Amino acid sequence: MEPIIILNREDIRRTLGRMAHEIIETNKNLSKIIMIGMRTRGVPLANRLAAYIKAYEEARIPVGVLDFSLYRDDLGSRDLQPAVKSTSIPSGIDGKVVILVDDVLFTGRSARAAMDALIDLGRPSAIKLAVLVDRGHRELPIRADYVGKNIPSSKDEEVQVKLSETDNLDEVSIYKNSEAGKCL
Amino acid sequence: MEKRAILVLEDGSIYEGYSFGSSNDGVGEVVFNTSMTGYQEILTDPSYAGQIVIPTYPLIGNYGINDIDIESCRIQVNGFVVREACSQPSHYMAGQTLDEYLSGGNTPGIYGLDTRSITRKLRDKGVMMGIISTVLSPAEALEVLKSSPRYEQQEFISKVSTAFPYDWPENKESDNGLRILVLDCGMKYSILRIMSRLGVKMSVIPCHLSPMQIMSLKPDGIILSPGPGNPQLMDDIVFTVRELADKVPLMGICLGNQLIARAFGASTYKMKFGHRGGNQPVLELENGQVHITAQNHGFAVDPDGLADGLEVSFVNVNDGTVEGLIHKELPVFSVQYHSEASPGPLDSTYLFNKFVAMIKASNCK
Repeated sequence: MEPIIILNREDIRRTLGRMAHEIIETNKNLSKIIMIGMRTRGVPLANRLAAYIKAYEEARIPVGVLDFSLYRDDLGSRDLQPAVKSTSIPSGIDGKVVILVDDVLFTGRSARAAMDALIDLGRPSAIKLAVLVDRGHRELPIRADYVGKNIPSSKDEEVQVKLSETDNLDEVSIYKNSEAGKCL
Repeated sequence: MEKRAILVLEDGSIYEGYSFGSSNDGVGEVVFNTSMTGYQEILTDPSYAGQIVIPTYPLIGNYGINDIDIESCRIQVNGFVVREACSQPSHYMAGQTLDEYLSGGNTPGIYGLDTRSITRKLRDKGVMMGIISTVLSPAEALEVLKSSPRYEQQEFISKVSTAFPYDWPENKESDNGLRILVLDCGMKYSILRIMSRLGVKMSVIPCHLSPMQIMSLKPDGIILSPGPGNPQLMDDIVFTVRELADKVPLMGICLGNQLIARAFGASTYKMKFGHRGGNQPVLELENGQVHITAQNHGFAVDPDGLADGLEVSFVNVNDGTVEGLIHKELPVFSVQYHSEASPGPLDSTYLFNKFVAMIKASNCK
């Protein structure tokens, strides 16, 4: 099966712009928000959302980076890269509304791990989830608050998000798993 | 204009002096340190969290504050009590005065009192809680003190530990391929400085991580850092240490020594006035050698409960307390003193080389 491109560069720009508006609309006090990108592709997405919010509302949203690999539920079974990737949170998260940002929401296990990692850093007043793509097949009771695009997929398909900051290209595509190449 | 301040101890003793640094109130356990220099390292040593520190040396601040001699990212003590605070430091690296540094860290200081007589009182009666204040009357200060939690009942390590893991800059010139984690219960930067000079890649991890999370980072060895507080309150970390001891070489420093002791069945007790200074003699039992060491601890290991192959390796020459432990079979050893010094004599830094050698030997097996 040929890869099907679902969002191109312009689509991603429009989608993120709309998500930024939704975030502004549903959060009256933007000064309480802190945007935290989940490694790897959640980080450029968080930066872009913050930039849109700044362009629309003149509000400067702090952006942090979260490495949640130590909180995965398959720690023992997976052969992890033994590396400490940096987490950096610009200010404390106590009492803040944390918007976790990721590229694809699939089983929900990454989001759960990220929430566990966040709770170890402090007590935010709320945690919300923003994803560019929701492809279904949840294994945990988790849903996103801001969704870029719902892509109904089958389990043997692979949704791949490429971003110019990490892959020199803005594109969301869907593959059959056998052709998906390296699963990221 | 000099501003009056008081230091009140829980036994009702009142000492009058002058305020410097922040004019906030400061409550903590009052302890003395006999080092002649190294006040910047002492102020930033996380093992002094929750304490008011009195250097016995009468002139403090004479070489100012620089950007290098820090052991953590902030001032950790709750108060600083000196005989004479030098306001005109003379040193080519001095960027700030002690007064400015304490103000910037919101830490109260008091000067102009007889620190040696306070020290003698603490040696006679044992360490006690105290308060520095510029606004309270002695009676009010004593009231505040009585309603404050005691040092040994409080938990400090979650406040001084790093919130998330981080890497220390690599030493590009010499890299021996080893990767060592420091379990941060109140770590001092000197440990990282010395280890990375040895060519080891160093990462620092929060003290709340589980053994599984720690082992997923595939460390070649783990250093259990020094830290503040009562080791009897740290059951979670003791459990972690026991599990790690079977899996990976361990070196414990100060609190790390106490955690290893507890993991192998021993308990710890509070000492009368502790060991804090740069000239504590310890005896190495294996060869009868005496080392002069830097120390900062107010709790000690009771050797009676030691089991499962853990043995005493060093004792203090002055009072016979446990100063080091070694395991007969596992690659595990620890010292109660500060092998990273800072401040204090560098004689014991050989222990870090010993740890690297121990890891290499256990990797060969």
